[in-house]
Amino acid sequence: MASKKRNEPGFSRRTFLKTVGAGGVAAGVLGPAEAAQGQAVGAAGPGAVPITLTINGRTHKLEVEPRVTLLDALRTRLDITGVKRVCDRGACGACTMIVDGKTIYSCSTLAIEAQGKAIRTIESFTQGTVLHPVQQAFCEHDGLMCGFCTPGFVVSAVALLERTPKPTREQAQKALDGNICRCGTYQRVLEAVLDPKASAGVKRG
Amino acid sequence: MASWPPPAERTLIGKPIKRLDGPVKSRGAAKYTYDIIRPGMLYARLLNSPHPHARVRSIDLSAAQKLPGVRAAIALKDTANPDTSKVFYQGEEVAAVAATTEEIAADALRLIKVEWEVLPHLASVEQAERPEAPQVFPKGNVTQPAMQQEGDAEAALKASAHVVEGLYTTQVQTHTSLETHGGICEWDGDNLTAWVSTQAVHGTRNGVAKALGIPQTNMRVLTDYMGGGFGSKLGGDVQVVIAARLAKAAGAPVKLMLDRKEEHLIVGNRPSAYAQVKAGVDAQGKLTAIDAETWGTGGAGQGAGFPFPYQVYPFPARRRRHRDIYINAGPQRAFRAPGHPQSCFITEIVMDELADRLRLDPLEFRLRNLPPEQPNQMWGAYFKIGAEKIGWAKRHPTGDPASGPIKRGMGCAANRWAGAGSPQTRGECSIMPDGSVVTRIGTQDIGTGTRTLVAMITAETMGLPLEAVQAAIGDTNFPFAPGSGGSVTVSSVTSTVRHAAENARDELFKRVAASMNVDPATLVARNGRVHVASDPGKGLTWREACKQLGTTPITSPGEFQANLGTVGTSGVQFADVEVDIETGVTTVKRVVCVQDCGMIVDKLTAESQCIGGVIMGLGFALYENRILDRNTGHMVNPNMEWYLVPGMSDIPPIDVTLVDQPERGVVGIGEPPMISTAAAVGNAIANAIGVRVRSLPLTPEAVLNAIEREKRGGT
Repeated sequence: MASKKRNEPGFSRRTFLKTVGAGGVAAGVLGPAEAAQGQAVGAAGPGAVPITLTINGRTHKLEVEPRVTLLDALRTRLDITGVKRVCDRGACGACTMIVDGKTIYSCSTLAIEAQGKAIRTIESFTQGTVLHPVQQAFCEHDGLMCGFCTPGFVVSAVALLERTPKPTREQAQKALDGNICRCGTYQRVLEAVLDPKASAGVKRG
Repeated sequence: MASWPPPAERTLIGKPIKRLDGPVKSRGAAKYTYDIIRPGMLYARLLNSPHPHARVRSIDLSAAQKLPGVRAAIALKDTANPDTSKVFYQGEEVAAVAATTEEIAADALRLIKVEWEVLPHLASVEQAERPEAPQVFPKGNVTQPAMQQEGDAEAALKASAHVVEGLYTTQVQTHTSLETHGGICEWDGDNLTAWVSTQAVHGTRNGVAKALGIPQTNMRVLTDYMGGGFGSKLGGDVQVVIAARLAKAAGAPVKLMLDRKEEHLIVGNRPSAYAQVKAGVDAQGKLTAIDAETWGTGGAGQGAGFPFPYQVYPFPARRRRHRDIYINAGPQRAFRAPGHPQSCFITEIVMDELADRLRLDPLEFRLRNLPPEQPNQMWGAYFKIGAEKIGWAKRHPTGDPASGPIKRGMGCAANRWAGAGSPQTRGECSIMPDGSVVTRIGTQDIGTGTRTLVAMITAETMGLPLEAVQAAIGDTNFPFAPGSGGSVTVSSVTSTVRHAAENARDELFKRVAASMNVDPATLVARNGRVHVASDPGKGLTWREACKQLGTTPITSPGEFQANLGTVGTSGVQFADVEVDIETGVTTVKRVVCVQDCGMIVDKLTAESQCIGGVIMGLGFALYENRILDRNTGHMVNPNMEWYLVPGMSDIPPIDVTLVDQPERGVVGIGEPPMISTAAAVGNAIANAIGVRVRSLPLTPEAVLNAIEREKRGGT
């Protein structure tokens, strides 16, 4: 439910929050995808259940209680910690991942909901030690300070540039409105995302 | 005595240098305290008081302890002791559990039975000041007024040509660090290792070891990366003490990180400020006197002090009476330039009101009232730079005459800060026989770029590229450096590192000079070589020189060098805003920031610091507000959707002019760029709409109310 088209015109932080609010309700009922897979979500748990997640092209089998979020499953069960927990209720974007091509707040998505989907995290962008062009642009423009929000911003920026290679200033601002930074890097982040070098090496989705 | 290299010879200092940890942070590979998982680690959660004021009669942990997966549970209130069994604010720690997963720990909290005796509480300064208010705090709800007086303010006000009078207020702001407070504690016998999200590794060891009653030598604190603190993470936090106690009880490492709600409630905030002010000017536009009654709340048992009037414009006669008011809310902590943003807002709004009475341009009025220029008080010069950049010449007098609901306006304000280094700072620099170099210093990088500065100064001193040296920080095994508060870090660290690196380099010169048949005093280290200053051909590569050390590396100490830093930064800010008088919404169109930091060390990160300060200042100006329910004493917005910190679309272009003063030493500017933003925005709003809004935050509601009050005959 947190998977919303965040880069589309007219989509703001405010509407995002509304949809996340609705998501909390929807998460408890049977989604069409799960029904199609024959998984009885209503019967899962309360104890740990085996699940399979496809993260950055790799399959992970793990056992989690149905209430465990995708964020916590990655951070505390799989030690994938680039993604951060900050607000834990879909308001700050530090936990942003790309699931089936769309950015989501992984703190507001259950791990069991993410089965069968292609999950991409910040860890997927770097080829060896070579930074992704967006990561490189963040470094060049000093688009990070304490760095705690940075992975979320990078994921949102990559998702934007994969969809919109040459965003306008307004498009870039909108796409990044779901991410909160407290040190105040916004201006530098915007410069980084609008740097033509940032989008030059981005694969188009 | 160490010295900085002459400006012409500097290879790194003063240039825009990218932060060293940019790649690891942007890859998501930097391990923050929150990210660390130790073998066998348990997760802890706190049981917080739901009541703003209550006595804890009993705590029954038995059901929680029996829950499978729970490994330790402890009570944090001594219910047998009437003095320590009370809670004074919502969220105060009552009990804690550690379990194999965080979810189980959360379940266990619900099984803890607490018997409460709910007591009357105070949720606002207004409630606390009522004569019939219950006596909630042992020291009394309101402190005895503190008086400050210089000259005869009353007489000077009577003799003034114009007097402005009004009540000015600023709100409570929470730090909202993205990485919450907390740590991981791991015992090895009597020795404790703690990974902590802190602005002070040494300060944390000091406080936590004392609380646990263990020798400080038995404790090590590590902070490799940390996700923001802004003044709230300067001490031995109780979360770390609790994690250590749980770890001892469970016999396993324990991680305790606060959740977002706890972060808003229990680890500090900027106190509110209230000022009933009377200020005067003479007919020539010179300030005469200020008389103020001030108060505020820092929550439960904490003061709400702020300097007043703001010490930029000298008022010849001053009188002030201040009292602190205690309420049942989370206690305040140092927050980026403690006291200054509040004082700056109130004073600078008063300044514009006085200028209006005189029908004088507020900039001209300020220039008439500034103290003489000095290197650390350059407001006059900076006001002129800023005015040029913002286009002040196009500013209209108060009240945009344009028709239609959209009004445009400009405002300005000044700031000051000390930013001097700490004489207690120590460090050490090692040169190894293979040519590698490391500087170790027990400071921490809170996002300002300290790690990069340590490497820069070391590399500059050795004549090596930045990548050739290492900066080792964030560990109490390294020599003492102060907590990162008061903007002391850059001056403390750069001068100490320079001293240590010079000492190590000079020791290298001594040890290689004989083989080169030269006097060590003739040697320099430049461009990766050690050579005779007057004859670059006569020398060795860095590696060849270091090889001569054989099997004995060099480790040299360094200490703070007063001559490499200095005291005092000054700055000004301008804001250009648009206000919709039908909706009350303010849109900031542009901010101009002019600031100095003495000798610039890293131009790139220092400018980022200015931008970041302005952005936090915009939050203080327009959005942020800790709202307490007046009946329940509960914070109604302890989250990030209703506690509004600025987002990307809220940020206008921010134009930073960082004035270099290479002849001065280094001064810290972590705090000052945040001070003036709210005041500049407040003055710009009044310039746009022709009505004063005398309270922060400048929300649509506050703007519309001010307009409405004015229509009904003013304040």
